[in-house]
Amino acid sequence: MKTRGNSLLVLLSLIAVVIAGCGGGGSPFSGGKTVTVSMVYGSEKQEWLTPLIDQYNAAQHKTAAGSTIVVTATALGSIEAVDAILSEQIKPTVWSPASSLYLPVANERWRQNHSADLVSGTPKDLVLSPVVIAMWKPMAEALGWPNKPIGWADIAQLATSDKGWAAFNYPEWGSFKFGHTHPDYSNSGLVSIIAEAYAGAGKPRGLTLDDLQNAQVKDFMGAVESSIIHYGTSTGFFGQRMFERGPSYLSAAVLYENLVVAQEAKRIAGTSQQTPVVAIYPKEGTFWSNHPYVILDAPWVTDEQKAAAEDFAAFLLDKPQQQRAMELGFRPADPSIALTAPLDANHGVDPAQPKTVLEIPSAKVIEGVDQLWREKKKPVDLVIVMDKSGSMAANGKMNAARNSLVQFIQQLDEADRLRVIVFSSELSDLTPLTPIGPKRDDVMRRVSGVIEGGETRLYDAVQQAYTDLVKDGDPKHIRAVVVLTDGKDTQSTSTLPDVMQQIAASGGEGGNAIKLFTIAFGGDADKDVLKQLAEPTGGQQYNSDPSDIMKVYSEIATFF
Amino acid sequence: MHPLKRFLFTIYVIVAVGVFIGGLISPQFRARTDASAPLRDALLPPPEPIVVSVLYSTEKDAWLKDVIAAYQSGHPTLNGHPIQIALTQMGSREIYLAVLDGTEQPTLISPASSLQTSILEDLSTRKFGNPIVRAADCRSVVQTPLVLVAWKERADVLWGNTPPADVWKKLHDALIDPKGWEAYNHPEWGYIKFGHTDPLKSNSGFMTILLMAYDYFGTTSGLTSQQILADAGFRQWFAEIEGTISKFGDSTGTYMKDMVAYGPSVYDLTAVYESSAIEQAANARGRYGELHVYYPPATIMSDHPFCVLQADWVKPDQAQAAQQFVDYLLSQPAQEKALLKYGFRPSDPSIALDQPASPFQQFAANGLTTNLPPQIDLPSGDALNTLLDFWSRNVQK
Repeated sequence: MKTRGNSLLVLLSLIAVVIAGCGGGGSPFSGGKTVTVSMVYGSEKQEWLTPLIDQYNAAQHKTAAGSTIVVTATALGSIEAVDAILSEQIKPTVWSPASSLYLPVANERWRQNHSADLVSGTPKDLVLSPVVIAMWKPMAEALGWPNKPIGWADIAQLATSDKGWAAFNYPEWGSFKFGHTHPDYSNSGLVSIIAEAYAGAGKPRGLTLDDLQNAQVKDFMGAVESSIIHYGTSTGFFGQRMFERGPSYLSAAVLYENLVVAQEAKRIAGTSQQTPVVAIYPKEGTFWSNHPYVILDAPWVTDEQKAAAEDFAAFLLDKPQQQRAMELGFRPADPSIALTAPLDANHGVDPAQPKTVLEIPSAKVIEGVDQLWREKKKPVDLVIVMDKSGSMAANGKMNAARNSLVQFIQQLDEADRLRVIVFSSELSDLTPLTPIGPKRDDVMRRVSGVIEGGETRLYDAVQQAYTDLVKDGDPKHIRAVVVLTDGKDTQSTSTLPDVMQQIAASGGEGGNAIKLFTIAFGGDADKDVLKQLAEPTGGQQYNSDPSDIMKVYSEIATFF
Repeated sequence: MHPLKRFLFTIYVIVAVGVFIGGLISPQFRARTDASAPLRDALLPPPEPIVVSVLYSTEKDAWLKDVIAAYQSGHPTLNGHPIQIALTQMGSREIYLAVLDGTEQPTLISPASSLQTSILEDLSTRKFGNPIVRAADCRSVVQTPLVLVAWKERADVLWGNTPPADVWKKLHDALIDPKGWEAYNHPEWGYIKFGHTDPLKSNSGFMTILLMAYDYFGTTSGLTSQQILADAGFRQWFAEIEGTISKFGDSTGTYMKDMVAYGPSVYDLTAVYESSAIEQAANARGRYGELHVYYPPATIMSDHPFCVLQADWVKPDQAQAAQQFVDYLLSQPAQEKALLKYGFRPSDPSIALDQPASPFQQFAANGLTTNLPPQIDLPSGDALNTLLDFWSRNVQK
């Protein structure tokens, strides 16, 4: 018995060794071979995709070769993703931006270093949604909606009128406050400036580089851009801001139709108490956000990954998933699904619209529009308030703060005006509020030379930056204060209530008020106080440390 | 047993077994289905199948896959050998290019129309001295004409109930007018958006540019390479109309699907197959307004020829098996399915197009009709090739 028992033990051990040897090679005990489909996608479809990815992974789909498909996904601004892919910072299998608009540009840039296209053939659309101007219903009605068609020309007229809403007998609404995302980061921002160029040129197709030289086009873009309260990194984020902060902050913004539907669904369900919002389909024409599913033709994508990615696409295009997309406010890519609720007037949209689109210009013209926007965009009056107290010496904080600020300054446009205040026990001006163009190198050099030491007079520094900007800043510019600090206030004569009072005094300006961005740098900063300072202004509070301060600065940069 | 008897018995057994085995091996025997089949199959290797490889165009994919299952379930054989159909889907142009350069050696080809077989006949004669395909070796299994599909409110404004006799000329003038729909008192519709697929990738696009060319020259037959190449007016006219198209689709089915999904904001009207319009007709209902089918004054059929190749790699039994397969495709159940489920016009004239469940009944209100306008004559393969080449040089984006 003992011998037989031993033989069995040996046999079992041998089997175990064999099984262990099969690890990752298809053994049912080790979970088997897997193939990963990594996807980057425009954040607008996050709510739709996240649960579907979990559902898909749980079902353990297999490729023809028997590997289990695992989908991983990251939401990333559509245009931001192109830069990351082209520089090979990320190497995804699938890229699903908000629209096909940027695909030719991506191909053109990719071909500078490669012999083939990054995007070949015509990718499948996952879901659809037209680009719309989302406006508060009472404001849209004041403009004649829904009986009168409204377009970019009306927006330009409102933006340039000194009367603002008073021209429509609503002086209590103040000035017209408009918003779209940053064209260098987000598809809807790029779409907005192309639509502005078309509207300025007075044509719906065939936009040329010559058109962009036309004074009428330049003036038109300048007019619309003058009403911008700030730009932003993603369309979803922009919608969220508009729907949280309400009509005093923003009168209208360029969004996707699905965001309007989603907000109205919340309002109808009682989870949002906001004023109703409606989708305006610009009368001159618009663009579609078609969420192409691009399986990249990049050297890092294997044939098996391509096959796995096809399988995942088929899942997303299957009826239940398409139906779910419609419940969230998208128009399904599958035309066998009827366009029904919530795509209806109750939810602020008209499924019979849009009536026409604008022609997608060539890659060269798109780049030309972006350049023109840089010339005509709303300039920034920016005050940077940087902590140089003694504690900044620890953990490489001072070094990281200096380097990231230098890089941030590098990104500012020539016409932007910049002031830099450094504070510890004293406040000192590194540079006054003047255009960055002629002084850029000098300011960068000075910032690089900042040395730490002393106490933290945070409130005094913020108070002074804010008060001076109210006085010296141009209300026609985007005005902002960016504060970086690593600790609590230790020596100010002003108090937090003093600063808060000062901020509250500008509350009537809504979205045009001075925005305060605060960065809690390291674990000792007072995050609550910094949040209290930032939130009422329409700015934002960030937590950061030397490892990600660059990222925080680039996120702040998307507002300008 | 006596040694001689034992010897004779042994011989008898060997012969009997030999005869039995021989019988089993014989294809005629094997083809019979009888009670001993499972034992026989277990004992012997299966008979050599006759493989018929088919390169076919994407438009008939769904129908072919649907009917092939029924065909295979009948265990078709030829002279006792089972017939195996190996289907490979390809673009119509890809099919003749692959055959011509030798990367594919199929038994049967079936592009979307005789336009491609005609080009292949011409090009293969030039290359090999003999045609690799001849019209006589082709049988059309289903047909569908090229039609214009438009959102009715817009077609009403553009041409009323029926397209004019010079529809392409009229369309050209409307498309290039910078005023767009404003010239028709509908500025809210923007510019006029017409579309067809890429002629190099999709047959319906090829058929469309052929109809345009005929219309320009005011004839319905005898288009020549000389006409296409020598007429500067044609070049300009053609480049102008094509220049207004933002996106040439890769496939007709997807193009038509997009027209329904995006609505009139993206396409006011497109040139597609009647069968593609039928495929989307139910989906279009209750969406963006009425989608209507219009028959151009002269059209052309996508006739889906199935042609056995005249090539040394096609063995006589393969050719025969291929014909047997085509016979099946032309049989009533397959033909009826083509009409009722997929919207094709069957080749079998005994199947009524306007029977109750037919799409021609179902979507009559959307302009579908069994009456066909006159058809243009197919130009020579040489002229067709010239036209494609002309498009790729003057238009392709």
